[in-house]
Amino acid sequence: MTKHPAPHDQQKEEPLAELPGSAEHRENIRRLKAKSSRGLYAMAAFIAVSIGAIRDFDFLPTISPQVRTALGTPPSANMISTALLLYAFSAIILILSRMMGGSHSYSGMAHVGYLSGFYIFYSLGGTLADNIWAVFAAGITILGLESYHIWTFCNEEIRKEMEALEESSRKQRLQQ
Amino acid sequence: MLKSLTFRAIVPVAIAITGFVVVCCILLYSALKADMINDAVSYETKLADTIIRSTHYAMLKGDRETLRNIIENISSQDELEHVRIFNKKGLIMFSGKHGEVLTYVDKKASGCIGCHAGPVAKSTLKQMERARRFQDPRGKEIIAITSPLYNDPACYTASCHFHGADQKILGILDIGISAEHLDSTLTLLQSRMIIFSIMILLLSIGGVAALLRRQVFVPLRQIRTFTSKVNSGSLSHDLSGISGELTDLACDVRSIACQLKVAEEELRKIKGSRKTDHEPVAEAGSAP
Repeated sequence: MTKHPAPHDQQKEEPLAELPGSAEHRENIRRLKAKSSRGLYAMAAFIAVSIGAIRDFDFLPTISPQVRTALGTPPSANMISTALLLYAFSAIILILSRMMGGSHSYSGMAHVGYLSGFYIFYSLGGTLADNIWAVFAAGITILGLESYHIWTFCNEEIRKEMEALEESSRKQRLQQ
Repeated sequence: MLKSLTFRAIVPVAIAITGFVVVCCILLYSALKADMINDAVSYETKLADTIIRSTHYAMLKGDRETLRNIIENISSQDELEHVRIFNKKGLIMFSGKHGEVLTYVDKKASGCIGCHAGPVAKSTLKQMERARRFQDPRGKEIIAITSPLYNDPACYTASCHFHGADQKILGILDIGISAEHLDSTLTLLQSRMIIFSIMILLLSIGGVAALLRRQVFVPLRQIRTFTSKVNSGSLSHDLSGISGELTDLACDVRSIACQLKVAEEELRKIKGSRKTDHEPVAEAGSAP
């Protein structure tokens, strides 16, 4: 004799049919969580480049005199430093304005590229040892702000999505 | 803590200001260091030029005693670590330190290798290329410069000399000054910049925190206390002393509270009047 499950048990075993919006909210939360850790990846990439710079890129092949001649005279340390100062200032202002505007755009990896460019220019000019910490401090500041911006933005959006998800599941419970 | 308004307001400002000040300080320090080293090298170059001009006549005349005397007098200055003249082969002919006279300089040592790296030694170098920085055997930092003694017609036409016209360089004057003074100045500058950066950090955090507390957090706390009292039914609590943009919010909260108070009073009046209306009917109904 088979025992038929009670209607209450049946209801427990069958998962509730998900509302169309819920899957979208879950996907958004997953996407935002992945996005919030992008800052850490950019920071890790920058630290890796900085370690290479501290070693004066000794793991890279040396530039031949012919290539060096073809590249021409490197810019002076003062010129590179002025460019670094302008870059750091404008990047900080742009990130702060994005924070104020609640923009979701993120350019951490692009900044890693620009900062690596400064390391390369200082290295070619032969003044990397004197200016390495300036580039490092600029990078940590810019990437720190970028990471903080994207982290707070994603957390805020995740909170909104969670609220929306809770609201939809509450509606679903009421309907049933 | 991470989600609090204070943290979210202070962190970006502190990172941005302190980070930028640190970058500026490092770049300024680097530029000042380069300028000070350039100045030291320039001073040494001028000193070398003065020595060469002072000794030129004694060299022409082959007056070794006068030459030795000049070198000894110059090298007795406190800042100067060494003054020496060596010939093309690297044999030291005159020096402030008597012990190193007639000894050979190491061509592979820093400062010499700049010219002697290749098979043929370079005969001309720029001012900064002639300078070198090294530690002497006592561990003292030295900034040294080498200045070549070029051959000129007065040298190779003089009767007492044996230099040929084809010999471009007759000898090298080598001067070294102690870098201790420069290093101590740079260390002082570095510590001042660190203190300056810490002061900027503290001022930015303190300033933002003080302004936020005065302009935002205290009024917000007042509004919060007021709304919680309204929520618990106490409408007699007064809301005052709020300024700035929060005034509008405070006014709205106060007007909602007043409307609520009026509505409650009206409701109480209506309830009271209904009660008085129903009481005689009940009394009439209960009569026999």
